[in-house]
Amino acid sequence: MVEKQLPRLTDWFRVPQKFKTLLIIPVQIIMNFTAMIPFALTWYVGMTDWTPQFTTNWWEATFIGPVSFLKVANDTLFLEAILRTLTISAVVVPVEFMLGFTMAYVFSGRFFGKKFLTLALVAPMMVIPAVGGWTFFLMFVESGPVNGILSMLTGSKVSIPWLTNPTYALLTIMLVDIWQWTPFIFLIMSAALLSVPQEPINAAYVLGATKWYTFRKVTLPMLKRPMIIALILRAIESLKIFDYPYMITGGGPGHATMTISMQLYESGFKYLKYGSTTTESLVILIALIIVGWYAVKPLRG
Amino acid sequence: MNGRQSAIFYTIFRLIFAFGAVFCALFPLYWMLTMSFKDMIEWTPTEVHWWPWYPTIGNYLILFFPKDLVVQWGFFKPYIMLISETAVKSITNSLIFSICGTAIALFVGTCAAYSMSRYKAGGDYMFLTFRMLPPVAILMPIVIWYATLGLLDNPIGVILLYGLFPVPFVIWLMRSFFDELPKEIDEAAIIDGASPATTFVKVILPLVRGGLAVTALFIFILNWSDLVVALFVTHRVAITIPVQIGLYYSDAGHLYGIMSALGVFAIIPTLVFGLAIQKYLVRGLTFGAIKG
Repeated sequence: MVEKQLPRLTDWFRVPQKFKTLLIIPVQIIMNFTAMIPFALTWYVGMTDWTPQFTTNWWEATFIGPVSFLKVANDTLFLEAILRTLTISAVVVPVEFMLGFTMAYVFSGRFFGKKFLTLALVAPMMVIPAVGGWTFFLMFVESGPVNGILSMLTGSKVSIPWLTNPTYALLTIMLVDIWQWTPFIFLIMSAALLSVPQEPINAAYVLGATKWYTFRKVTLPMLKRPMIIALILRAIESLKIFDYPYMITGGGPGHATMTISMQLYESGFKYLKYGSTTTESLVILIALIIVGWYAVKPLRG
Repeated sequence: MNGRQSAIFYTIFRLIFAFGAVFCALFPLYWMLTMSFKDMIEWTPTEVHWWPWYPTIGNYLILFFPKDLVVQWGFFKPYIMLISETAVKSITNSLIFSICGTAIALFVGTCAAYSMSRYKAGGDYMFLTFRMLPPVAILMPIVIWYATLGLLDNPIGVILLYGLFPVPFVIWLMRSFFDELPKEIDEAAIIDGASPATTFVKVILPLVRGGLAVTALFIFILNWSDLVVALFVTHRVAITIPVQIGLYYSDAGHLYGIMSALGVFAIIPTLVFGLAIQKYLVRGLTFGAIKG
């Protein structure tokens, strides 16, 4: 008679298939509790017109159905915020990339003081974004050093209203992002340049290619993957911009520096439009899940 | 221009470029540092003060000592009205939340990473996509959920989120460290009679402890830098340093020096840890895709 072995508790540690599941359980618990349940909840709350001034609990709010999604299309502030964020992205990412890549290329050889200079260059990235925003507030206030330096250079008193003029305020936000994240591109591209093999480049020189031609035709193709990864990560991160406008301008003047994140924060927490804010969050989440799913492909190795 | 001349030209260009870049990178930090030592009358002068003319440590004192005491010592009488409490609470909060959150993220992430690396458990790309989403959009539903549970402005709520948001980084970083270990080590341990759990805890984890340390510091930096999460789910009790900096900023007046002092305080750990793991930063920020 074959005695059927009963499953034991310690099997979870002994049987590979069970151990595999056991290892995944903690992350599942925290993920479901803090992210998945709220996400499911969003679908309901997003279809109500909940504002906490009138009904304290979300389940007491009036259910208006999927019409709420159509309302998003009429929210001009939200649409403008999306457009503005995309503009910031479109300016900031190429500038950061060009600057960072140039820096990495200039720093690629050996020279005196390289280690120290690299440390100094990477420092802005270590600064927490909120404080980075605050330093730029200090720099760009009308009585601040940026106007001071410009005054010194031009020889006459310059007082550009960096933070109170809509265009300049947006420019300031872009500048912080460039200041803080150019080092990121610099680090990635430095690492990539180091890993490029020298033989093909030397071969190209021997065959009589110019420096620029070699760079374009030999070095660049070998840097394709790191370049794509750096660009994608920066593009996605720049869509999340929140700390800088929050610390520097608070979204103002008017709505000049309202990014998507700032807009959601403001309509949710300042005007307490929880229902419509949740709908908008959901729209952003779905759009970015789709974009993100394809964008992370190069990272998959 | 012959080769030698062009080499000299390039060297000079490189030096000028490097120093220009370093100046741009460091000047804002220099400015905040000096601002934190400036007296109130120098906060918004009509003419730019390039260094503190009347250096003071009053800004730092006000962060750590009750305001009556600081007034007694003779610092900042007019602005003192705007400050309700010291920053000690937010600093301890930041420390506790960051450390606990890092511990949770490290635990759940490392387990999952090992499962994904050795047993090909799925879900790794899902976490990568999760990281690509803007935290603000994820937080709006979480705030509603937390309000239902009564977890708003509660340390546990913040710690849970600090344990959740960095998990994709932990998974992908630790996975890259696990993948570097040859599979034969696991197989040898199994053949010697160790169970999968023993292999993981007693054989593999000690081998990646360097990677664990790097990941822990990296996650600590991420959590310490966070403004958004704390801003959304805290109000008074559980505020952290970045939120506190924003609280000193009000329509009544910008407390330039005090905010800068707290800012300097906030960036010290990230600067120290960040420069310590500089070699691994590329790997961390690219989710292990570029080894650096």
